[in-house]
Amino acid sequence: MSIVPKETIEVIAQSIGINNLSEDAALSLAPDVEYRMREVMQEAIKCMRHSKRTILTSDDVDAALNLRNVEPIYGFASGGPLQFKRAIGHRDLFYIDDKDVDFKDVIEAPLPKAPLDTSVVCHWLAIEGVQPAIPENAPLEVIAPPSDGKNSEQKDKLPVDIKLPVKHVLSRELQLYFDKITELTLRRSDSALFKEALVSLATDSGLHPLVPYFTCFIADEVACGLNDYKLLFALMRVVWSLLQNPHIHIEPYLHQLMPSVVTCLVAKRLGNRFADNHWELRDFTASLVASICKRFGHIYGSLQTRLTKTLLNALLDPKRSLTQHYGAIQGLAALGPNVVRLLVLPNLEPYLRVLEPEMLLEKQRNEMKRYEAWRVYGALLRAAGKCIYDRLKIFPPLPSPPAHAVWRDNRKIVTCSNKRKAGTEHLEQPPPKRLATDGPVDVVSTDLSPSHMPGEAITPAPSNDSNVGPSTSSAHMPNSNDLDRKVERGKGDHRSMKTSAILNQVWKDDLKSGHLVASLFELFGQGILSFIPAPEMSLFL
Amino acid sequence: MDEEQVVKFVETYLKKKGFKQAELAFHDEVQHNSNANSVDIHSDPDLSLLLLSLSQSEDTPARYHEEYRKLRSWTHSSLDLYKPELLRVLYPVFVHCYMDLVAKGHIQEARTFFNSFREDHETVHSRDLQKLEGVLSPSHLEEMEFAHTLRQSKVNLKICQYSNELMMQYLRNTKSTMMLGIVNEHINFQVSPGQPSSISDDAEVVTLIGNSQDAANQINKKEIHWGLLEDSLEERLEKAGGLLSDSEKTEGDAKEGDLDETKVNILKRSVEGGKQGASVKKLKKDKAASATAKVVRPETNTSSIAPRVKSELPLPVMLEAGYGGQCPTEVEQSILEDLRNRVQLSSAALPSVSFYTFINTHNGLNCSSISQDGSLVAGGFSDSSLKVWDMAKLGQQSGNSVLQGENDTAPSEHVLGPNGVKRSYTLFQGHLGPVYSATFSPLGDFILSSSADTTIRLWSTKLNANIVCYKGHNYPVWDVQFSPLGHYFASASHDRTARIWSMDRIHPLRIMAGHLSDVDCVQWHANCNYIATGSSDKTVRLWDVQSGECVRIFIGHRSMILSLAMSPDGRYMASADEDGTIMMWDLSSGRCVSPLMGHNSCVWTLAFSCEGSLLASGSADCTVKIWDVTTSTKVTRTEEIKTGSANRLRSLKTLPTKSTPVYSLRFSRRNLLFAAGVLSKCK
Repeated sequence: MSIVPKETIEVIAQSIGINNLSEDAALSLAPDVEYRMREVMQEAIKCMRHSKRTILTSDDVDAALNLRNVEPIYGFASGGPLQFKRAIGHRDLFYIDDKDVDFKDVIEAPLPKAPLDTSVVCHWLAIEGVQPAIPENAPLEVIAPPSDGKNSEQKDKLPVDIKLPVKHVLSRELQLYFDKITELTLRRSDSALFKEALVSLATDSGLHPLVPYFTCFIADEVACGLNDYKLLFALMRVVWSLLQNPHIHIEPYLHQLMPSVVTCLVAKRLGNRFADNHWELRDFTASLVASICKRFGHIYGSLQTRLTKTLLNALLDPKRSLTQHYGAIQGLAALGPNVVRLLVLPNLEPYLRVLEPEMLLEKQRNEMKRYEAWRVYGALLRAAGKCIYDRLKIFPPLPSPPAHAVWRDNRKIVTCSNKRKAGTEHLEQPPPKRLATDGPVDVVSTDLSPSHMPGEAITPAPSNDSNVGPSTSSAHMPNSNDLDRKVERGKGDHRSMKTSAILNQVWKDDLKSGHLVASLFELFGQGILSFIPAPEMSLFL
Repeated sequence: MDEEQVVKFVETYLKKKGFKQAELAFHDEVQHNSNANSVDIHSDPDLSLLLLSLSQSEDTPARYHEEYRKLRSWTHSSLDLYKPELLRVLYPVFVHCYMDLVAKGHIQEARTFFNSFREDHETVHSRDLQKLEGVLSPSHLEEMEFAHTLRQSKVNLKICQYSNELMMQYLRNTKSTMMLGIVNEHINFQVSPGQPSSISDDAEVVTLIGNSQDAANQINKKEIHWGLLEDSLEERLEKAGGLLSDSEKTEGDAKEGDLDETKVNILKRSVEGGKQGASVKKLKKDKAASATAKVVRPETNTSSIAPRVKSELPLPVMLEAGYGGQCPTEVEQSILEDLRNRVQLSSAALPSVSFYTFINTHNGLNCSSISQDGSLVAGGFSDSSLKVWDMAKLGQQSGNSVLQGENDTAPSEHVLGPNGVKRSYTLFQGHLGPVYSATFSPLGDFILSSSADTTIRLWSTKLNANIVCYKGHNYPVWDVQFSPLGHYFASASHDRTARIWSMDRIHPLRIMAGHLSDVDCVQWHANCNYIATGSSDKTVRLWDVQSGECVRIFIGHRSMILSLAMSPDGRYMASADEDGTIMMWDLSSGRCVSPLMGHNSCVWTLAFSCEGSLLASGSADCTVKIWDVTTSTKVTRTEEIKTGSANRLRSLKTLPTKSTPVYSLRFSRRNLLFAAGVLSKCK
């Protein structure tokens, strides 16, 4: 009759020490127990509502007991749900599993973490009735799209503005194409077919729907394939091809692509064998990065700054390995001489000081390490050389139209101020005589800014550079510079006569700020003097 | 056998057996007979019926069951047109059958009876059934107020003539004397000629609380002045700026002229008194000028302004210098500025909603409150603490930290915790039990909090200290609300009373008693002359603050009332309950204008936009809903019935939150909506 059976009453009576409870008493107690229980629950529900909750907790029951002036039941904090266990041998007798806890364990247990303090955060739930799509708001998918627009209108429910996720339908051909390309990239990247595939990627129209899949694929493969040199190179080639394709809008996916590309540039290890020519991969990636920056730098204002920051951090962190430094230097160099001048050259001196012992046989026994150091040194030298040549070009007397044409494809980033300067100089160029007199004035005025100093100081270096670079790869750049210079000289022979005169003029001009030059030479220290400034010195002398 | 002897014998027998209704019927019968002058008792069919029932009295419990079952099946197979009305009779009959069985001690039978038929009424009356289910002995009937009142009183049921005849005929023909007795004893049919009314029309049928309907009808006839308070800042702005508010046309228009005149007199007096600052004076003079101008040609814009009423309370000089430590004119100016910059909201122009999310509350937040300008947010916690966040400073801090980094130069802005850890909030400690409600004064310089420790505490946000502790309630105080002008506040408690207090007295000024269960929420009317209270007895009452009398009872909700809101024009009230139903009430008539359905869980909070065109509701189902109130209030009841429910409930927008139940809502003076809630764990 009552939901509390009389057996329960008897059990409770026994548990508090009343053994001879008559059946009648239990029978008449049972309904009353149920009534009291319901009463307590009613009050507990009230407490729950006023605590603005929809789940009843044992705190609410305690509060309800409190209301009735009954002592609360201790030992039931609002933790997890209670575990009831069936008593062995009884079909419907349950008890709460209450484990013995060793005091020692409790005392010796480490203190739990302090809970986070309550705080309030603020966001826009709606702006003029429209919910902005910010992470603080409920994602739109939570709202089930109305199954039938008409129906919901009729039911007088609110019209919910939902943007349904757009479904892309990939044609079967495209799927096949994608599968084929990925397979080639993963397994047969040295085949001729792969080269064909790259050409196809670079030229075919109608590949745009695949771009997100390719970016995902590249990102995934780079992330898990850092040991596979071949794969990485193939992937970078795919990126390169995609970038070349004029029918693809790759901008929206750049943010996904860049991390993988930069990884291939400055990762500590690329490939797992000695034979893997990761230097080549880094060089390739550097040119890739530079082309991306060149193409999308004006759309993504922050792209280059973020990139240079990443690279510079990699370069200036002495804890990073030399391979990483190499990648960073190559990346920075590829971004153009101005980047080198502004970011690398000021750090050159302290960096070389660290690098120097690594290159010496007596200091660094590990041949591998020494080799790496020399590679880094070569990269540095090339970067500096390129930068210097750029300075030389901007230098008023030298930039002749053909020289400009030659250098245009050199992927340099011309900053705004330089462009302007170049422009003005172009205008001033036609009368060489006047230039000879006017130029230096111009230079002086610009040279007063200290940022110009390093470039200015080593200006003549590449112009007279011979094959001094001991490391083979680093010698390449100065050599080409030299060649170019020769070409230039050959082309404009009437002007070449004057070059030395102009140089002298400049040199005189430099002498005016001679003390600055001297200090700069001092700054560069022995390491760099032994290689670059030597011919320059001779010129000066 | 002598006739009188028989009568006496039967009477004593009935008394002995405790057949009240039979005895009563018998008595009537006898009197009737004696009036009709000696009719043969044995030939009277009704009496023989009674005697028959007496002879069968041994198996009463079974008869209750049987007769109710028959009545039920008969009702369900009755004519469609009359079925709804007849079905409504079943519930009171069911409840009384059960209680009769309990009262007679047939507990086992009562339980079986209850369980076999409870499903019929579960949907509408589940709460009542839960309560009644626990009644298991005659003593419980006495003890439990709900059951007691049910047994003591009659239920009023509107029923059309034909339904009534049908019912009576059936009960007579089938000799269902038990049912007949119950119907006679506990149901008061209000027989109306004509067609039966539809079920939806009669919201009041769902509450069975005694004769409250009678009383409510009586009470609801009282006059109330729902107009806005005269001389409010809004009014001043309207006058000064010549701004035409688009509030609705009202019946009070006719009085406008002389009202204006009296106002001008009042204004003159106040100007002569010269208590207030110069600028206020100037404002008032301006206003007086424009007001007099209006008297000259009252037809210009009288129709656009709601009637104004005088306050029955001695109102505080709200902007008195030193009251909040602020220059009164400055405050007034800023309020006027806000009013001028108010965004006009309508169904086409929805508000912006700024959401304050409480995080890491560890299930401890019981309530939250937002100050008028949205800059302060208070949270009441179950660990007895009250915490106040200054949102303006919070924004600055995050801004500063970006710029300044570690060396924060303004440590005074932080309150240092016991361990020297910086806290982002001000902690108010003093209560001895969970804090159930908090409210900011209109200017944001005071907070009131109510707690399970039966006290209400007043805190100053300027001093960051407890100023007063108000003791008076005997049980937990569920809700406390500042009046729209400050100084006075109202509280609602488990002790079934609502009380009116003023800040400067530690004892209550008025005690409103009358609710049959906990008073769960309280809200002030816009003109400060009334308060509304919502209760667990499923009714909302409106009380006159001056007299302390109940002036309206609103019956219609099906579960505990959780929140109330008053429209800014003072004409309507919204109330929301546990089930998620929101009801709009017309204060003057006491009728429900329209129910707003849509939420599927507790509605914790309601707020009207400043010009009263929109209603916002926040619920435990993690949504904020915006309702168009103008359409639902303007459509009259009769029109509604004609057009069906098409434009009855207009939910404009549902704004789902990220698993954050919405605890409080507040429209700022500029009509920006602030909402607050606790991020709850995803399940």
